[in-house]
Amino acid sequence: MEFKDYYEILGVKPDADSKAIKTAYRKLARKYHPDVSDHHEAEEKFKEVSEAYEVLKDTQKRAEYEEIREYGNYGQGFQPPPGSQSSSHSNEPYQGDFSDFFSTIFGDTAGGKTRDFRSDYAFNQKGQDIETDMPVLLEETLSNCSKTISYSLPQRDNNGQLREVNKTLNVTIPAGVRDGKRIRLKGQGAPGIGDGLNGDLYLRIRLVPHPLFDVEAHNLLIIMPVAPWEAALGAKIIVPALSGKINVSIPANSQTGQRFRIKGKGLPHKHGHGDLFAVLKVVMPTTTDDEIKQHWEQLANKATFDPRADWSN
Amino acid sequence: MADLKHYDFSFEELCEISELSSLTIIEIVEHGIIEPDGADPENWVFSTQMVAVAKKAYRLQRDLSIGWQGIALAISLLDELEQLKAENQQLRRCLDRFIADSAVLFPNRHTR
Repeated sequence: MEFKDYYEILGVKPDADSKAIKTAYRKLARKYHPDVSDHHEAEEKFKEVSEAYEVLKDTQKRAEYEEIREYGNYGQGFQPPPGSQSSSHSNEPYQGDFSDFFSTIFGDTAGGKTRDFRSDYAFNQKGQDIETDMPVLLEETLSNCSKTISYSLPQRDNNGQLREVNKTLNVTIPAGVRDGKRIRLKGQGAPGIGDGLNGDLYLRIRLVPHPLFDVEAHNLLIIMPVAPWEAALGAKIIVPALSGKINVSIPANSQTGQRFRIKGKGLPHKHGHGDLFAVLKVVMPTTTDDEIKQHWEQLANKATFDPRADWSN
Repeated sequence: MADLKHYDFSFEELCEISELSSLTIIEIVEHGIIEPDGADPENWVFSTQMVAVAKKAYRLQRDLSIGWQGIALAISLLDELEQLKAENQQLRRCLDRFIADSAVLFPNRHTR
């Protein structure tokens, strides 16, 4: 078992006073709180920081920890000295998990998680809710769509031990869902304790970025590459939509950045469909043969257009 | 097309689902953290989205010992931040279609 250096975790010196410890804890708690932090190990770090504070804020616990810190050999892994079980009791049960290290020294406080006082304190507790991301393709939002979701579910085996089990469910995703929408699946979360209900599963829709289309609300955007002569002379362009293809006519002398609106070819919403916007981008060929190059040179000589007229003063 | 506002909850149902006490939920509503339809607790209607916000507000309040006004501010700022990050990411994707390797010019670190 690993020795936990609570001072290091909080970033304080071992002789820090309680004020310094409190300040350090507060800073780290708000930095690593999972609801605030983007950090991929936020939850772990938050628990670590909370546990460290739990010990160091209490004079008696801190003293006991100090003894162990002096005594324990943390080169070869940590061995608690005999008779080191704590005799202090917390008045306010900490609502978190403790590391093995903590439990070895201080025992389990309050027997695990406590909740908001509403739930039955004793033996009936609703199982934990689980929240997971559900990736959805843009095409799948065009109509109601059946999808499979896999997630990790804590289950109790015959010995009452909690194990992580992989679960698969079929879900219907309604048409027109937007990124971030939550769907609740009742009773598909962690099992309840005693007579408690199962927790719920919350799916958070994540629209997968499309290689061609960008999404803005219920509108779609596609960049439409055209050859310089197409922009110069006008052309009929076949533009892919999310389903099917559309003919777009661009007029002569079109510009890069010009938008062409294709009504109703965006994403579905309550009153119909959003639009698809094709944005023109003139692109140059990367290679040219001599004959083509000659044509370009002729054009260069004939045309009087100055694209940098704005610059000269 | 499916009616997306299909899943609504009453005050009592929200208490059940979120496992938050009625007092906690009332505080959360009174601070404008979630804004259910309906004039009073008997008539309140909550959406699925509001369940998540309520639970988040409760967790922050419990874990960081912040008052409800502070929580309301934190949540509204966190929401805005999330939106800005999403917008940022969206604009970045679009920009990349026009400018080669736009991250060299705009090395924004604030994306979701």
